[in-house]
Amino acid sequence: MKLWKKLAAATALTVIAGGAMAEGLYAPNMAYRTGPFAALGIPLMNGQADYMTMLNERDGGVGGVPVDFSECETGYSTEKGVECYEKTKGTAIVTQPWSTGITLQVLPKTNVDEIPILAPGYGFSPMSEGGTFQWAYNPPVSYWDGAYMIISHIAGGDMSTLKGKKIAFLHLDHPFGKEPLPLLEKMAEEHGFELVPVPVGLKEMQNQSAQWLQIRRERPDNVIMWGWGAMNSAAIQEAVKTRYPMDQFYGVWWAGHDPDLAAVGEEGKGYKSISWSMPQPDSSLMADIKKHVIDTGKTQTTEDQLNSVFYQRGLVMSMMLAEAIKAAQEHTGKADIGPKDLRWGFENLNITEEKLAELGMSGMVPPFSTSCSNHTGHSGAWILEWDGSQFTQASDLLQADQSVIKPLAEAKAAEYAEANAPWPVVECDS
Amino acid sequence: MFYRTSGQFKTSYTADMALFPVRQDAILLAVILAFAWVILPLTASEFAFQTLLIPILIYSLAAMGLNILTGYAGQLSLGTAAFMGVGAYACYKLVTIMPWMNPVVAILMSGVFSAGVGVAFGIPSLRIKGFYLAIATLAAQFFLVWLFEKWAWLYNYNASGAIQVPTLEMFGVTVAGPTASSHVQYYVVLGIVTLMTILCINLTRGTLGRTWKATRDMDIAAELIGINLMKSKLTAFAISSYIVGVAGALFVFMWRGAAEPNLFDIPLSFRILFIAIIGGLGSVLGNYLGAILIVGLPVILNTLPETFGLPISSATVEHLNIMIVGALIVFFLIIEPHGLARLWALIREKLVIWPFPH
Repeated sequence: MKLWKKLAAATALTVIAGGAMAEGLYAPNMAYRTGPFAALGIPLMNGQADYMTMLNERDGGVGGVPVDFSECETGYSTEKGVECYEKTKGTAIVTQPWSTGITLQVLPKTNVDEIPILAPGYGFSPMSEGGTFQWAYNPPVSYWDGAYMIISHIAGGDMSTLKGKKIAFLHLDHPFGKEPLPLLEKMAEEHGFELVPVPVGLKEMQNQSAQWLQIRRERPDNVIMWGWGAMNSAAIQEAVKTRYPMDQFYGVWWAGHDPDLAAVGEEGKGYKSISWSMPQPDSSLMADIKKHVIDTGKTQTTEDQLNSVFYQRGLVMSMMLAEAIKAAQEHTGKADIGPKDLRWGFENLNITEEKLAELGMSGMVPPFSTSCSNHTGHSGAWILEWDGSQFTQASDLLQADQSVIKPLAEAKAAEYAEANAPWPVVECDS
Repeated sequence: MFYRTSGQFKTSYTADMALFPVRQDAILLAVILAFAWVILPLTASEFAFQTLLIPILIYSLAAMGLNILTGYAGQLSLGTAAFMGVGAYACYKLVTIMPWMNPVVAILMSGVFSAGVGVAFGIPSLRIKGFYLAIATLAAQFFLVWLFEKWAWLYNYNASGAIQVPTLEMFGVTVAGPTASSHVQYYVVLGIVTLMTILCINLTRGTLGRTWKATRDMDIAAELIGINLMKSKLTAFAISSYIVGVAGALFVFMWRGAAEPNLFDIPLSFRILFIAIIGGLGSVLGNYLGAILIVGLPVILNTLPETFGLPISSATVEHLNIMIVGALIVFFLIIEPHGLARLWALIREKLVIWPFPH
């Protein structure tokens, strides 16, 4: 009885809490500064938060309205993520789910609640099909784009050289890790290379001796890694231990975390990671961040994070959100926009070279633009290479061939809509 | 004074054997049921439905299933989450193969599959006991989660390897999927949980429950007085897994909406075991109390700083939350090692004789 009363009281409290939130534009972030992935989460979340703090300090927010970039802690747990979603959906203008698991969970609900999802560089590759996934955005590139670009870099631009090659695909055995498989299988068939999928179970992330034994036996020409968290550092250390040639080892953008490589130092030289963001320590944005955020102490960022790939990627993520808000404000003519307006903003993002220069972010992210039929933007990405002490740019801007990816995305999106019928689908004009 | 039992005479055996021989207990239950069926649904917000009411009920049900096996029949199991997974995947296959099927029927039927799997993994219990049996059920945990990952037919060959709940209708009302309203889902869950609770209370009071308890307390003695241990243990496994399977189906279909295989991994098993232990092994009420403490309390604690306008970052709140809940678990286990249900029984006993303790 007592507990039931407590429960009722708590229910009443949360109702009140729901109404009392948000001044300005409420753009909550589902952060994970606790739990098994905290080490990777913290620099990203810091970057995101710092960019918004900087805008609030320097310009008084976006379009004169401050952005309330509160965090809701998930610890990367799907259950907590859904809790956060339910807690924030009443007043939030955007959902930033921050894990493929939470994205899968929240994706069907956003159609009903009409809140846009911003999942920069993660989530579901077919989300680029805006006609099917009207409320989901994964700029600037999808996992399929990433897989394609890595393969094309291995081929040196000429896909016919792949014939007879053997490529191992070391991935987390989880929706995120399996994501590029359909595309890789298709490409293997088309270009005649042999694909060897090597799954790493969630429980075996830190002990990959079996997987690397298999890799040693198979002697693949290249290893592509789709890993996250503890899996990456373990894989890199195993690769060093088994003397796998580092320059034939590629990782997704989440597998390019500076401390993972710093742990092996010189031994990791030649390791490559594809990335849609590049740290630019001398950019004017970084000067502003230092002046308005770091020096005033309004941050949790430490000095050594500032120039890391992940921190500056966090900045880029928040830039996309801020630009979408700006676009929506210009379109509607009002400063205090709602989730529906922001959806329009995400759909009409136009990040050009000039825009990036104006923001002081030249070279931090490739230019891209979104539209109804293209919720990703497909900006392309660079290959970053570890030189023994830091990541350096090792290629020109690579592009994924959309004539290969688009049909696959369309097919998978249609499949998703069918499996989740009735699912609202609109026709795109552009 | 509040709980005076004097003057309540039992004049027949039936009255003495009634579910609630004390009138106040019946009144208390009526109040709780009124809360659950009428008052909470009328007042609760969407947030309360999705993070408190529905999950607490589902976790209570899962813990109740485990309690039948561990609390009543004395067979320690660490495979609860895997059996929930069997229920969830069975339900998913049922509704995708036969979309015309009534979702509630599908949920209740999916328990049958999990009962079958439970019995199969319960067979070793005839030979091994205690910690050794726990290891055997742990094998179920590893094997089944592995199966959920590798057997692509189970998730209809989805590229992501996860199951997504389709939109399901019953008598023209959407009960599952993204468009289902929380009220409908709550009532479906509440209905099934109420049904299962009545079933459990009566089962554990009857012959079957008594044979389970005899098996738990001393299996050799039970065998000597003529109890068939195989029947007793396997029925416990079957009924326990059935309830757990139904809880698993509810877990995915009425609450989560999507599930990946590793959701049904050991942490979930432990969580349910903790609910059962902290609530009280061998009790039905305890499962609810345990679920409120372990599932509900962290959610409530998370909202407190914001409600009172305390400027604490959400990561710090999370750390505090883990510490507070952990400390509370230790505290409750120290003041009453037999769980919250026993604590309530002691309070009730004190209230009955209050204000004149002898």
